[in-house]
Amino acid sequence: MRGSKRGKNPTGLSGGREWLASGLATGALGILAGFIAVPILSLVVWTVNEEAWGAMASPVAREALSLSMRTTAATMVILVVVGTPAAYVLARGTFRGSGALNTLVELPIVLPPSAAGIALLLAFGRLGLVGEYLNAFGITLSFTTVAVVMAEVFVAAPFYLRQAATGFAEVDRTIEEAALVDGADRTAVFLRVTVPLAFPALVAGAVTAWARALGEFGATIIFAGNLRGITQTIPLAIYSEFQSNIDAAVALSVLVLGFAFAVILTVRYLSRRAVEYRH
Amino acid sequence: MRLLRGKASLESCKVWSRILLLLALAIVLVGCGGSGSGGGNGGSGGSGEKQGGTLTILAASSLTDAFAELGKIFEQQNPGTTVKTSLGASSELLAQIQQGAPADVFASAAEEEMNTAVKDGLVAGKPEIFVKNREVIIVPKDNPANIKSLEDLSKPNIKLVLAAKDVPAADYAVEILGKANKVYGPNFKQDVLSNVVSREADVRASVNRVVVGDADATFGYASDYTPDIREKVKVITIPPNLNIIATYPIATLKDAKEPGLAKKWVDLVTSKEGQRVLKKWKFEPAAQ
Repeated sequence: MRGSKRGKNPTGLSGGREWLASGLATGALGILAGFIAVPILSLVVWTVNEEAWGAMASPVAREALSLSMRTTAATMVILVVVGTPAAYVLARGTFRGSGALNTLVELPIVLPPSAAGIALLLAFGRLGLVGEYLNAFGITLSFTTVAVVMAEVFVAAPFYLRQAATGFAEVDRTIEEAALVDGADRTAVFLRVTVPLAFPALVAGAVTAWARALGEFGATIIFAGNLRGITQTIPLAIYSEFQSNIDAAVALSVLVLGFAFAVILTVRYLSRRAVEYRH
Repeated sequence: MRLLRGKASLESCKVWSRILLLLALAIVLVGCGGSGSGGGNGGSGGSGEKQGGTLTILAASSLTDAFAELGKIFEQQNPGTTVKTSLGASSELLAQIQQGAPADVFASAAEEEMNTAVKDGLVAGKPEIFVKNREVIIVPKDNPANIKSLEDLSKPNIKLVLAAKDVPAADYAVEILGKANKVYGPNFKQDVLSNVVSREADVRASVNRVVVGDADATFGYASDYTPDIREKVKVITIPPNLNIIATYPIATLKDAKEPGLAKKWVDLVTSKEGQRVLKKWKFEPAAQ
């Protein structure tokens, strides 16, 4: 790239300044990339040096990984089933209060997760605003796996909603209207036309939301508690193990790193194939 | 890269110079922040003459209130000094010290953590036992699970919260349950532990689970029944023959930046006045 640039701007002050600027920019990228790569590498180096591989297969790790997989899967099902039509309404609806609603559903993005956890606890805990009534019916949510999913949905939903709504907003309405004229009903148009056209945005939103749900810590530990196999997801297991067995904490971190990597690559591959298939 | 080509070059120069300006500004700001706080430290050191400085204490979370009060006394006795107390589970604090956390004093809720610190060569001098504490059961005031004794904790469907594994308060609790097995039957400990619904970061976090009403019971220390929470919880005592006495060691750390102040803190905590404050917060004197 440098060669082509120099070719087009062989001499002159602006060429020199450009060179400097692009050098600095490349340097900035290098610094950032190193800043991100070094800690990740350190995890792997520690695991190799301390022979912490065994800890990856420990019961704590297996239970945490299984729980994280199950809860984030449930979160994604809820987000796709409920979030997709909700995002469509957000994108298309111009009703009173739609602006306020948009702000409301984006609030969890800027709210620190621990604050979200306290909020959930005060709402759905045993003495909470809603929890009190649920408790009267014999339903308690705190310290259950359901509470973990609730925490994950709470913090991850905005990421899916936002990207899905943007995707829907970009769909050309004339295509939808043409399908309607051809006699398709609204649901069919939504499922067969709108959703496929917005598909890349939906996948992107789902991946971000899933990553957010996987990393969820603050809201989960405060609202759902911390018990192996029930509410102790990978981030909580890493935190708990750090106090007693740092090898296990490192091994879990490496495990989740690989897991996250695999899922992101798979989703990218599948979505690329889906896009190719449509064209 | 598109920015850097052909006609756009002049404009891109402007853009780049703006970005660089912003970067430079950011660096200057960060620099200022650093030197600013440095200046602050210097200032407090200067105002306190020879006695200035910041004393950093790592203390078991059960010491929260007592050490806050002692910190104020210390700052009055040593004008210009600042006492910074970092509270957490003793096991977590030990992990922090092992990872090189900068601190002057370590006060643990159990001898095990302190012994490890000594073994790892992290402690200067010999640790002193400065106070004792007693485990109690803490339940919400309305006591929804109707717990009246240690034995009741084995009833099914109780939501029991414990501090995390290796946190002294939880280790002591498990020890108590082991002792109680001989009295309440061989399955007692098992039954109680099967009621555990969450393991919290430290003892204060597990007590707070009872305060907000989500847990039916937890094991805490007598000193955790602070005035703040007396309206919301009550204490159920553990039979003395089954209870254990928690012993709290304190020591100055080898890498202390303020070894003089650290020594003074240990002296204060073990002095008559220090013991008076600790007793006020429901701790028991070390010499008993």
